[in-house]
Amino acid sequence: MVESRTLSEGVWIITMAYPKTHNPFADDDEEDEQQPRSRGGIDEPDEIGLSEAERKQRYLQQQVMRTANSAVESSQRSLGLIYESEKMGTETAEELMRQGEALKRSERMVDNMDEDLKTSQKHINSIKSVWGGLVNYFKAKPEANKLPPEQPVGYQASSKLQNALSQSKVHEDKYQASHPNLRKLDTGGFGATASEDDNSYSQNGYPANKHLRAAHKTLDSNLDEMSVGLGRLKNLGLGLQSEIEDQDASLDNLLNKVDKMDLKINKTNQQLKNLK
Amino acid sequence: MDNTGKEKEAIQLMADADKKVKTSGSFLGGMFGGPHKVEEACEMYCRAANMFKMAKNWTAAGNAFCQAARIHMQLQNKHDSATSFIDAGNAYKKADPNEAIKCLSAAVDIYTDMGRFTIAAKHHITIAEIYESELVDIEKAIAHYEQAADYYKGEESNSSANKCLLKVGAYAAQLEQYAKAIEIYEQVGSSTMDNPLLKYSAKEYFFKASLCHFIVDELNAKLAVEKYEEMFPAFSDSRECKLLKKLLDAHEEQNSEAFTEAIKEFDSISRLDQWQTTMLLRIKKTIQGDEGDLK
Repeated sequence: MVESRTLSEGVWIITMAYPKTHNPFADDDEEDEQQPRSRGGIDEPDEIGLSEAERKQRYLQQQVMRTANSAVESSQRSLGLIYESEKMGTETAEELMRQGEALKRSERMVDNMDEDLKTSQKHINSIKSVWGGLVNYFKAKPEANKLPPEQPVGYQASSKLQNALSQSKVHEDKYQASHPNLRKLDTGGFGATASEDDNSYSQNGYPANKHLRAAHKTLDSNLDEMSVGLGRLKNLGLGLQSEIEDQDASLDNLLNKVDKMDLKINKTNQQLKNLK
Repeated sequence: MDNTGKEKEAIQLMADADKKVKTSGSFLGGMFGGPHKVEEACEMYCRAANMFKMAKNWTAAGNAFCQAARIHMQLQNKHDSATSFIDAGNAYKKADPNEAIKCLSAAVDIYTDMGRFTIAAKHHITIAEIYESELVDIEKAIAHYEQAADYYKGEESNSSANKCLLKVGAYAAQLEQYAKAIEIYEQVGSSTMDNPLLKYSAKEYFFKASLCHFIVDELNAKLAVEKYEEMFPAFSDSRECKLLKKLLDAHEEQNSEAFTEAIKEFDSISRLDQWQTTMLLRIKKTIQGDEGDLK
């Protein structure tokens, strides 16, 4: 029972030191439950006999090192995952752009087909009857000007993206200034709530052990990188979303046009068959 | 099984179609409905080819499609001819890559003649892929990718053009044509860095360009990295840029261990792909080569 208490004390030190590692990647989920029980226990090691305390302290330190190392490793893994997702996101974005261009092209071609069909309809009309031919003669001039511009236009991604980007940057700064956890980190301390924890740490707020300090520093910088990476991922996601929405609308448009085109072609075919 | 029966049927159809074409060639046949017969023969060739495909006899299918395509050319149906050539190419892809390339090239010629550059570009890419995988002729593959990129650029499909250009760049660097590779990567990088969706991949292109600079000369690489940082501020925050700076320092000090160390650290978080590893190994050789000279 004593062992379990010292274990939980060690864990409590760690979990107080890393206010943000309550994430699914860390292994401390099961140990979190023991936290409330041991809250008052941090003062106890001073009261037990010295040699026993020394042993327990060494054991505690080893535990601390181990958990710190595993935390660093898991943060490395998370960082790797974030970069992988970013890579996949960028590849998706490129594919999306290509698709958008193809959609625009198809729409242009369908418009061209529409114009061609109109011309062929006119010819059919003139073949069918003399009166139709006369009507065509009067109709011909105005219609010729309505042709859509032939030059292909370079594809522009939605400008909503740029707004979303600049907005989210502003929000991100505000978020970082106001969020309590991030503020704690800024004051440069682990357990910056200085009222608790002054027993376990040396004066400058970092754990005395050199290796532990290095591990904490790596973890710190990894977490920073993770937060920046996540911000980028979020922006990428927002951009992808608005691009997909635009393309969705384009697709519906295209579908309508193609359906109408289909009907017209069928009608024209019928007319041609009747002419024979 | 069903398939062998289909194959026999297909062979029969081919024979019939051949006969039809022969008879329509004679003067009388030409008088009395020659065109109809030729069209029918064409259709029969297509059906036979489809049956060969079902029986998985790819060479025969390709052959049949080629015949159909030639008849379409005779009838001046360019669209249909090109489509048949493409079908032939696809069938031959699984059996005889050289024939496939011949058919696909014929189709591409027809399409460029008609002015359908997008689809011609798409098929150039297919040809280039065959050269990449089956025939392993990198030079020709590069040539076709380049052609495809030019056609796409002409049709303002910049994303597709960039995709082809990137492949050209990767292969050019592999073949040690570094100047070409550098130019391509810089071009693609600068065109994507303004686009809000694509700018996330710009840093990778600048990284690759810097690696190519590095192989040529270390000073070039340094200047290049500074230039990219100026052009594209987000590049300096990226881990790739930090890695480059570490590598430059290690190279200056001729310290191959620091070099390997930096690479390992980068690799532990995001894997380096095959191309990047090859380039880095080449750079590392230049360090060790210099060390050898000093001794």
